Amino acid sequence: MAVVLCATGLFLYLRLESELNQSINSDLESRAHQLVGEVRVEESGLGEAARSLLMRRPEEFAQVLTRSGEKFDPRQRTGRPALPRADVRRAREDQITVDLPGFRRRDDPERLLAHPFRFENHHLIAVVGASLDNRDEALSNLLTLLLIGGPVALLLASLAAYWTVGAALRPVEAMRRRAAEVSASESQQRLPVPPARDELHRLGETLNQMLDRLETALQRERAFVDDASHELRTPLAAHKAELELALRYGSSSEELRVAIASAIEEADRLSQLAEALLVIARSDKGKLIVNLEPVEVGDLFATMRDRLSARAERDGRSLVFDDASPRAIEADRLRVEQALGNLVENALRHGAGTVRIWSRATDGRVELHVSDEGQGFPPEFLPHAFERFRRADTARSGDGTGLGLAIVKAIARAHGGRATARNTNGGGADVWIELAVASRQPGPARAGGRH
Amino acid sequence: MRVLIVEDHVKMAALIQRGLRKEAMAVDVTANGEDALWMAAATEYDAIILDVMLPGLDGFAVCRQLREKGVWAPILMLTARDAVRDRVAGLDSGADDYLIKPFSYAELLARLRALVRRGPVERPAELHVGDLRLDPAGRKVWRGESEIALSPKEFSLLETFMRRPGEVLSRFQLLEHAWDYEYENRSNVVDSYIRLLRRKVDQPFGVSSLETVRGAGYRLREDGGR
Repeated sequence: MAVVLCATGLFLYLRLESELNQSINSDLESRAHQLVGEVRVEESGLGEAARSLLMRRPEEFAQVLTRSGEKFDPRQRTGRPALPRADVRRAREDQITVDLPGFRRRDDPERLLAHPFRFENHHLIAVVGASLDNRDEALSNLLTLLLIGGPVALLLASLAAYWTVGAALRPVEAMRRRAAEVSASESQQRLPVPPARDELHRLGETLNQMLDRLETALQRERAFVDDASHELRTPLAAHKAELELALRYGSSSEELRVAIASAIEEADRLSQLAEALLVIARSDKGKLIVNLEPVEVGDLFATMRDRLSARAERDGRSLVFDDASPRAIEADRLRVEQALGNLVENALRHGAGTVRIWSRATDGRVELHVSDEGQGFPPEFLPHAFERFRRADTARSGDGTGLGLAIVKAIARAHGGRATARNTNGGGADVWIELAVASRQPGPARAGGRH
Repeated sequence: MRVLIVEDHVKMAALIQRGLRKEAMAVDVTANGEDALWMAAATEYDAIILDVMLPGLDGFAVCRQLREKGVWAPILMLTARDAVRDRVAGLDSGADDYLIKPFSYAELLARLRALVRRGPVERPAELHVGDLRLDPAGRKVWRGESEIALSPKEFSLLETFMRRPGEVLSRFQLLEHAWDYEYENRSNVVDSYIRLLRRKVDQPFGVSSLETVRGAGYRLREDGGR
């Protein structure tokens, strides 16, 4: 701003100077021409008129000089020749102006205009002068004004600018202060948004929306942690009670042995639960890693059969595998086995009849189904089937963690697919995961997968 | 000693049953609330261990319904829900104690024994005298369907009466139960408050439940005035 003010001041000053000079010069020129005209009117010497012109305005200066700089017609009563010698030569050819610092009076600068002309057969120079005093005074006044006014204006403008910007930025400070307070424990806070519909308002709104999203995610996580720790409590209580009883009442080593075996079982169940929770937590963060490779569905089914048929037989149930449209899928073998295993487990535990594990190809995708012939899902439970810790009947008489289907869904999602459940027309449940078809050919089949 | 365990987690129930039997108690187990209701009505249990998270009827509802049926056996609530509001809900629904899982078995035994010592005293959460109803937890009083607004001191005094319906209470006894050491030292403070109570609890309804017994004190009629 200082630069602008300086430049403006300089410009003003120079303009004024130039205007004033021009005005003085044109005045001088017209007087010179007037003088020349008056001289030429008379035929010899300086006529009365010219003389009177020369006399008439004593404040204004006029002389007529010869080429050598002497006064033409010494009767001119205008003092000595005004034009300095040096300038006389120049003035012979061309109109010139000369500024003299102190001419008629000391400290009174004057400008002379020398105009060469011909009169009869004389080469003459008409010289007129004007005081530069007024001009100088005007310029000096302006300079004073600028030198005083400039800094004052600068100061005022700076203050005004500071105050204005401060006012504009006050909402920013308010937002910054609130933002500093927002934390995981104070997640309800939102930034104060200024009412004006400007960039700051939009920024505030967007940031608040971001905070909303973060809070939702935070609440989801909190809910999960609450649920998880809650779910762990009962098995832990049973485990602890088992050991306490053993300590308190275990009189014979046989009793102790039984108690310890039971405690081990409970510990296994707890670690299964912890494992399941970890899968869910990881998939929530999107960090459930799946190492995808092409897997033959038939191969997969063969592994499942090896793993599960003994168990099914023990329960008096049969497993039927049906790979109708043999395709290779893009899958993490272990995770898909885990998912299918969970589904078969569910079918054995909560379903009835033959458990069918079958595949179906739809455009570009392969569905892996597990269905049974039991009662199917209770209709009000079906939309919530894949929610964590949801059980079809709220009792925990079964061994389930309540996370089986949630894990299946997490695995399907990690593969970029989906998990769906429905009740079949003939009664019974049908749950399937949808995976992508493999683009590459799978490697050699493994004889009996790892557990 | 006969104990009923209401717990849907089979293994947990079995463990507690085994332990209590070792302590020479007779123990029944059920996994749902409805069964608990008829079992407790049919048998006089010395204590009931009640889990909160039950299928169907939850523990709070079972507790409330047991008390409504007049089952006054001490109830110990057992649960994984430790939030304060759950504990408050449990105790206000009529339970006598509340243990959070995982608990120490020794503590369970100790608390059970403490409860049994108290015995099956009729101790309803809400007080009923005639058509007067007082809820200590919610600090509300009704006569019939109409709620009566009482100041804290008036409430305290009425509660004292309703805990001893039909009994004559001297001014001294009333002072002892409804006021503390920092009471306004007016000799007729009890009389003033009786007047206030009558104006709110009796007069608008055209009854007279708070009776003056000359030379002895005051009494709340057992029929509550009606």
